[in-house]
Amino acid sequence: MLINRFIIRRAFEITVIFFVIMTVLFLLFRLAPGDPTARVVDPSMDTEDADYLISQFGLDEPILTQYGYYLKNFFRGDLGYSFHYGKPVMQIIGNRLPNTVLLFTTSIIISCFAGIFLGKLTAWHKGTKIDTWGTVTALVCHTLFLPWTALIIIWVFGYKIGLFPLSGMLTPELWVDRNATVFLKGLDIAYHMVLPLFTLSIIHFGTYLLIMRSSMLETLREDYIITARAKGLTDKAVRDRHAAPNALLPVVTSVGLSLAFSVNGGALTEIIFSWPGLGRELIFAVSNSDYPLALASFLFISIVVLAANLVVDILYTYLDPRISY
Amino acid sequence: MSFQAAAKPVKRAILFQRLPVLIAALCICQFFFLSCRHEQNTDTLRVGIAEEPRTLNIWLASDANSRKVLSLIYQHLYIRDPETLELTPWLAKEKPVYDPDTLSYTVTLRDARWSDGSPLTADDVVFTVDLIKRFKIPMYISKWRFVKKTVAVDDKTVRFFLDKPRAIFLTRSMVIPIVSRKEWADRADRAEQKEKPLMALMNQKIDKPLGCGPFVLKKRREGAFLYLEKNPHFFASGSTINGYGIGPHVDSIIFKIFRSADVAILALRKNSIDYYWSAVQPGHIDALEKDENTRVFISKKSAFYFMGFNARKAPFSGRGLRRAAAYLIDREFIISRILQGYADRMLSVVPEGNVSWYNPDLPSYGEGDSREERIRRAWKLLKSEGYTWNTPPVDKEGNVVKPSTIITPDGEPMEPVTILTPPADYDPHRAACGTIIQEWLKDAGIPASSRPMSFGALLDKVKAEHDFDSFILGYGSLSLDPDYLRSFFHSKNAKERGWNMSGYSNPEYDRIAESSARCMDKEERRELVFRLQDIVLNDVPYIPLYNPHMIEAVNVNRFSGWVEMVGGIGNLWSMVTLELNTERADAH
Repeated sequence: MLINRFIIRRAFEITVIFFVIMTVLFLLFRLAPGDPTARVVDPSMDTEDADYLISQFGLDEPILTQYGYYLKNFFRGDLGYSFHYGKPVMQIIGNRLPNTVLLFTTSIIISCFAGIFLGKLTAWHKGTKIDTWGTVTALVCHTLFLPWTALIIIWVFGYKIGLFPLSGMLTPELWVDRNATVFLKGLDIAYHMVLPLFTLSIIHFGTYLLIMRSSMLETLREDYIITARAKGLTDKAVRDRHAAPNALLPVVTSVGLSLAFSVNGGALTEIIFSWPGLGRELIFAVSNSDYPLALASFLFISIVVLAANLVVDILYTYLDPRISY
Repeated sequence: MSFQAAAKPVKRAILFQRLPVLIAALCICQFFFLSCRHEQNTDTLRVGIAEEPRTLNIWLASDANSRKVLSLIYQHLYIRDPETLELTPWLAKEKPVYDPDTLSYTVTLRDARWSDGSPLTADDVVFTVDLIKRFKIPMYISKWRFVKKTVAVDDKTVRFFLDKPRAIFLTRSMVIPIVSRKEWADRADRAEQKEKPLMALMNQKIDKPLGCGPFVLKKRREGAFLYLEKNPHFFASGSTINGYGIGPHVDSIIFKIFRSADVAILALRKNSIDYYWSAVQPGHIDALEKDENTRVFISKKSAFYFMGFNARKAPFSGRGLRRAAAYLIDREFIISRILQGYADRMLSVVPEGNVSWYNPDLPSYGEGDSREERIRRAWKLLKSEGYTWNTPPVDKEGNVVKPSTIITPDGEPMEPVTILTPPADYDPHRAACGTIIQEWLKDAGIPASSRPMSFGALLDKVKAEHDFDSFILGYGSLSLDPDYLRSFFHSKNAKERGWNMSGYSNPEYDRIAESSARCMDKEERRELVFRLQDIVLNDVPYIPLYNPHMIEAVNVNRFSGWVEMVGGIGNLWSMVTLELNTERADAH
């Protein structure tokens, strides 16, 4: 019952926070410098025509009136049309989101498992060569500059060895072929995912390794670990069943938030690998004053992050019996 | 426990057994995909583009990539000849016939067809013009506002009645895309019922644009590619226009999106694409020229990068200070050091390559002078305008020295002035120009500092708020018709969001600009345009800086016959005349 009350209270708080975020974002975008008509006009266009376009975008109204319209439409499920795509923004987000989730969520899962496994191992073998090499590798990966790493990986595996495609999410020649099966198209996407996935995984696994290692080292100093050893349990049992589950808490927080933030993708990764995700669109929307698209993208990310926080809070109660609400 | 302990090694053994199978499967997939690539249609031109086309709605399309794709679908009545840049009849059968008595132009159409096989008629042209005027479509309305009436004389003849003579009618109005009534009539009617009709029209969803161009869009996957096939009804197929044998000779075009130029270059070198339809940075030229698979094209552009001043307020409201700044700026240095030689100097506000309208006899402001000579010229000019210094930039012996505090003719020390530039990540060249120009201005004691800011904020300051001293901006694609001189410097455009960003006001200039817009005689108009350039270069609201080259690269193995023109090889002429390079294509 207590957990139910907690969830209801948190849900209420999240709703309030969401509307605060929405208001602040709306005002920020409207007050920030930038002219959404700048890309639509050419030098022969008269100022009257520019004004007419502004009025058609609905940007000639006072900000509060615009916000009123926005709220009204929001409750009707209409977040507006992109100024540049001429399409409902939800359609654009819906189109890009699966690509982003597919790539970034997969990479987080892979790097998380690799990080947890190796973090556990390096902590257990603290002071040995395994620990030294593991920690140094993690630190190096953690500090790698993503664009440079991605370009090197593309150059080696895509260009020099020619084992994988240079960029993109699919092979157009295959997708225009009427005889290509769905299975083959699926394989094609998986094939294109290899390099970006590899890049993201090696960049991110170091973070999880270091968090897991540090948390595991603290856990290994706990009394119940000494008790477990004293009971004569094997090293593996002590490490995997007694220490590791308790050391997972900080990793879960980190993974939960990373998964939530993965919906905004990573603009750099998406640009270099020409991956059609949400991150690149977000940058485009902000830099071109495409208010409806930028606002909707940020709102969507806010919802996911707020929800992820709630899920992590609930998960804590299951992972650590000492935590109750 | 014991069972689990025993099961683990078994699992591990299974994994090791399966690992080679997995690797083999991966290799098979790899082999399969490589085979797929080999089996592709060799008559397909693979074009890399830097961004996804945002829309296929011709009335919304303002981004370069949408326009590239749509330029192969929607066609104009006239297009530019790649060599002479003169207008060439395209959908029109011949040059328009002007009747000065009725102020009308009559255009006869070719026997062209839309991609669905239906004929292009005069009614479609009338419909297009009416649509632009009805919805005040931002990109086109200014070119059609002065057209009083458009009439379909018969199925193949259109007559345009002007309310007053306008020189841009041929060069600007006649080069708009023509749409079919069939595609747009219902959409326009629906849009008109809405509260915001223009937005409703621009938000119309177009999946398969209906044009009469050389290609038809067959498939599009957002964010990944566009696939166009040859239009079987293309009116010019098999004909010769201006000496070019018109195809298209390729069966189809695939547009692939490469958001990173570095990766696109690798794709070119690896034979993954045939052409990257975007500018290549000079840093890539060496590698591309050494690679036998690729060829680099360096073309002139109709672009204009400049430094502008705020003529509305001190200190740059004074012409003398602007002219002194012009003496201090060394364009050759900017081109050789910042642009690595891949640009033309701009001595006028019309690019030198625009031979019909470029005035070669203009003040050159220290062109070819040494740094010291430039500083001396600026110093002399400023001194004659009443400026003084605590320590002047030229001492009594005539040596150039470091100046201190410049005093304006009002007797006050000059306030610090800022040069606004786009940030380096947006345009490194303009940001670098700001930095170097601030140092050059300081040579004459002008307390200048460069301030990069986001492009949106910069435009706001310069176009809307008019809160600036000077700025560096540019137009990447200027129309070949010099009517933009009227937009940029006519005093009526000095208002909020107007294109006269400097706030320049000169009644004589306004008068000549208006005469030029009305002048229907080309020679007479040329004289007026020359005079406009002369006034601008004397009053210097803008200092023209450079016109960057268009650097492009192609893979030479499969296609040849690229047509070079102002703006590069990415043009309609190339796309309809490219031919398969059979020998080399077979080898690859």
